Amino acid sequence: MRIRFFKLVLFALFIFLTLYIFYLEVVRGGYYRDLSKNNTIRIIPEEGARGRILDRNQNILVDNYLSFDVSIIPGDMHDRDRTFKRLSEILNVPETTLRQRFSINYLAPFSPVAVAENLDRQQAIRVEMFSYDLPAVLLHTTPKRNYPYANLACQLLGYLGQIDYWRLTKLEDYGYKTKDIVGYGGIEERYDYYLRASEGGLQVEVDHRGRFKRTLGYKYPANGKDVQLTLDLSLQKIAEDALSENGNKGAIVLLDPSTGEILAMANSPSFNPDLFITGSPSALQKIFNDPDSPLLNRSIGAALQPGSIFKLVTAISALATHKISPGTTFFCPGSMRVGRRTFSCWNTHGQQNLYQAIAHSCDVYFYHTGLAAGPEAISEFAVRFGLSKPTGIDLPQEAGGFVSSPAWRKTVRKQGWYDGDTANFSIGQGETLTTPLQLARMMAVFANGGYLVTPYVVKAIDGKDVSANRRRFQAIGADREFINVVRRGLRQVVSDEHGTADILNMSKVAIAGKTGTAESPPHQPHSWFAGFFPYDSPKFVICVFLEHGGSSHYSCQVAKKFIEKMLDEDLL
Amino acid sequence: MSTQYKILLIALAIAIISVLTIYSTTFDRDNSLERGIYKRQIIWIFIGMLFYFLFSNIAYRRFWDWVYPIYFAVILLLLFVLVLGAVRMGAQRWLKLVWLNFQPSELAKLAVIIFLARYFSQRSLYSVWTGPNYFGITRGLIIPFFVTAVPMLLILKQPDLGSALLVFFVFMCMIYLARVSMKYLVIFVMFLLACLPAFWHILKDYQKDRLLVFLNPNIDPLGAGYTVIQSKIAVGSGGLFGRGWLSGTQSQLHFLPESHTDFIFSSFTEEWGFFGACALLFLYVYLIKTCLDIAQKENDRFGRLLAFGITSFLAIQIFVNVAMTVGLAPVVGIPLPLMSYGGSSLLMTFISLGILANIDKNRSVF
Repeated sequence: MRIRFFKLVLFALFIFLTLYIFYLEVVRGGYYRDLSKNNTIRIIPEEGARGRILDRNQNILVDNYLSFDVSIIPGDMHDRDRTFKRLSEILNVPETTLRQRFSINYLAPFSPVAVAENLDRQQAIRVEMFSYDLPAVLLHTTPKRNYPYANLACQLLGYLGQIDYWRLTKLEDYGYKTKDIVGYGGIEERYDYYLRASEGGLQVEVDHRGRFKRTLGYKYPANGKDVQLTLDLSLQKIAEDALSENGNKGAIVLLDPSTGEILAMANSPSFNPDLFITGSPSALQKIFNDPDSPLLNRSIGAALQPGSIFKLVTAISALATHKISPGTTFFCPGSMRVGRRTFSCWNTHGQQNLYQAIAHSCDVYFYHTGLAAGPEAISEFAVRFGLSKPTGIDLPQEAGGFVSSPAWRKTVRKQGWYDGDTANFSIGQGETLTTPLQLARMMAVFANGGYLVTPYVVKAIDGKDVSANRRRFQAIGADREFINVVRRGLRQVVSDEHGTADILNMSKVAIAGKTGTAESPPHQPHSWFAGFFPYDSPKFVICVFLEHGGSSHYSCQVAKKFIEKMLDEDLL
Repeated sequence: MSTQYKILLIALAIAIISVLTIYSTTFDRDNSLERGIYKRQIIWIFIGMLFYFLFSNIAYRRFWDWVYPIYFAVILLLLFVLVLGAVRMGAQRWLKLVWLNFQPSELAKLAVIIFLARYFSQRSLYSVWTGPNYFGITRGLIIPFFVTAVPMLLILKQPDLGSALLVFFVFMCMIYLARVSMKYLVIFVMFLLACLPAFWHILKDYQKDRLLVFLNPNIDPLGAGYTVIQSKIAVGSGGLFGRGWLSGTQSQLHFLPESHTDFIFSSFTEEWGFFGACALLFLYVYLIKTCLDIAQKENDRFGRLLAFGITSFLAIQIFVNVAMTVGLAPVVGIPLPLMSYGGSSLLMTFISLGILANIDKNRSVF
């Protein structure tokens, strides 16, 4: 009896064992085979070159150069101390630096660890000469970012850096890994997916210590795609020269009113993106801590009061709601009483019609106009002109700006709206905030006769035109006639001898535009000019913004310099 | 075919699989000594066969007379090991003889089986009419346990938890099959279960780790749990048909430690898959069945108990080793008989099988 039971138990145990092995091998076989592959297969990555960034005429704005780098293959390094010592002598770099870089960049025994980058030719030759002596040392070339124009359009282009934790969590699904180099800001960030080189590499089998056993395959690294911008290199250069001449802080945006293409986007102050590749940490710290924030793309990221340029919105809203007609006149005695407060004008203009009021930027006229149209109508037309929300340009970190309204006041601030607020609102003071790009876009409406364009800066990716997707137009919803009325007013701003931008009155090109001086006590006011030219068939819309630049006169000067230079170089 | 050759044939079939597997796990190694390891195994197989024939021709009855010398010699050897044995892999298990390293614990297992077989087949004058359940608690449990416990504790001290446990399991099988009253067996098992917490403190830290890791290998995947995890990966990645001879990455690239000794079953299964594993297990089960048949047919009580002891010893060893490689048993250093690389184990298995063959040959036919 006992024997039979013993036998039974024994066979039952072995059958159970067989069943469990079946479970492991067949039911969960795939899972364990993957684990087995993970154990043995490694990729030695090899980077292709990042895509270039070109201007509209195929001029290179950013490309790559080949840098000589020295790497050490840890698995082949038998005499650690000697290798570092010799390498330190050959490269003339302190041994501790080499060791430090080695330990930071170490990945796996078979994968080369970069210890020195950007060698000059002499150093590279020396390393190659002594390579027989140092079997673990490898001299190779890697593509590095090259900025032939240094600071040019730096905020628009962006810079490169190692991926940060936040980005990694967002981008992991798209194949990004730790220690990847990704774009920060501007085109480099927004179009990183296209620009980044696809990683190729050697697929190898390794043993339990990670030592190379055999090669399984090789995948060629593919270069990133070239991105062509709508930017015009010569216009960009002129814009940056004109802007930074007096050490101004500010921005110039130049766009094509018929398409929305950005032709130039200059910001000041600027930085050299090369510092993020070759620069020391202290140099970078200086950029990050600079109170003038050179990293900020002011053209799209700085939202400030528009000043008198906003009067155009007031004018259109009053015209469209038939509260005034082009012939309506108001008398400007130099100030006006609204409620219990006196609102002054910057000058005494006397009797003004709409054209004159725009040309002279008469505040009193627009107090009347604004009060006639009402804040709701102004607010609505401001939104129609694309204010208070991002323009949708294909660049990251765009500010939306802000346009107030009685409803907002009531619901958010729990405050009432008074006629005084309307008066302030009408002339672009107070809570209203706009970016230079938004004002340029608004000006484009008057240039092209009533359409709101969507600005964009990338023309083609990898040779394929993508601008068709970006060209979106939206009718402004006001009579063409009213647009033309204001348009004529804008011309008078320049052509009238008392116009606020009369210094732009040039014989060679007819310019139209509007100035703005936005009070920002206790500092100097912000100085604005937004306009278009040539008047008859506008090809360019320009917006000049000087942060705390003083009177609008100064931005007109910058605009003048810019346009004169354009004429000189025959770029019109 | 006579049972003697049947046993030898099965054993040789397994031994050939063993050589193939050992070759596959070691042919790619850098060390030329390790690369030639399969040749040593072949030599051991020939020596084993020699001993098989030798022992199948020594009348097993002689062990009846030799029990005491064998038993005390084993105790002495175990003491020797503790005093001047060679330390390998953190344990003092080997006696260095002229050119080979010998594990006395292998011999101890056989000695205990022979001793118990004789002990339980001795009958006093009264036993003729008291029937099979004659043994009282002292005679049936306490004395034999004491006899087993001495070598067991010495083995435990080496430390070799696996072998000690094996000796203990063999003891349990023997008293079960020797028809010691079920009542005493149950009491004994209960007593042992009650003592379990106390045993915990006797164990060394690494042994505790192994037991904890058995319950959950992922608590220490790079330390104590590493072997189990890698072994499961090796077995699991085999699939139905295996990855092919000489193509197992887990064993050849050294992810699986002990791939040609204790964990040879994983290496084999990785390369030969589920079908290979079934074939191998079938050979083992067939071998055990053949041995059990010998025991059942035997009329002589000593021979029968001896055959049972040896068979259960083999069966337990095979089961525990395979269960250990698939993660169903804690990692204790028990080799897979006839498969694992190692002279002592192979030799002792062949000797045990030789004794079984002899028992079969000398069956008295009434």
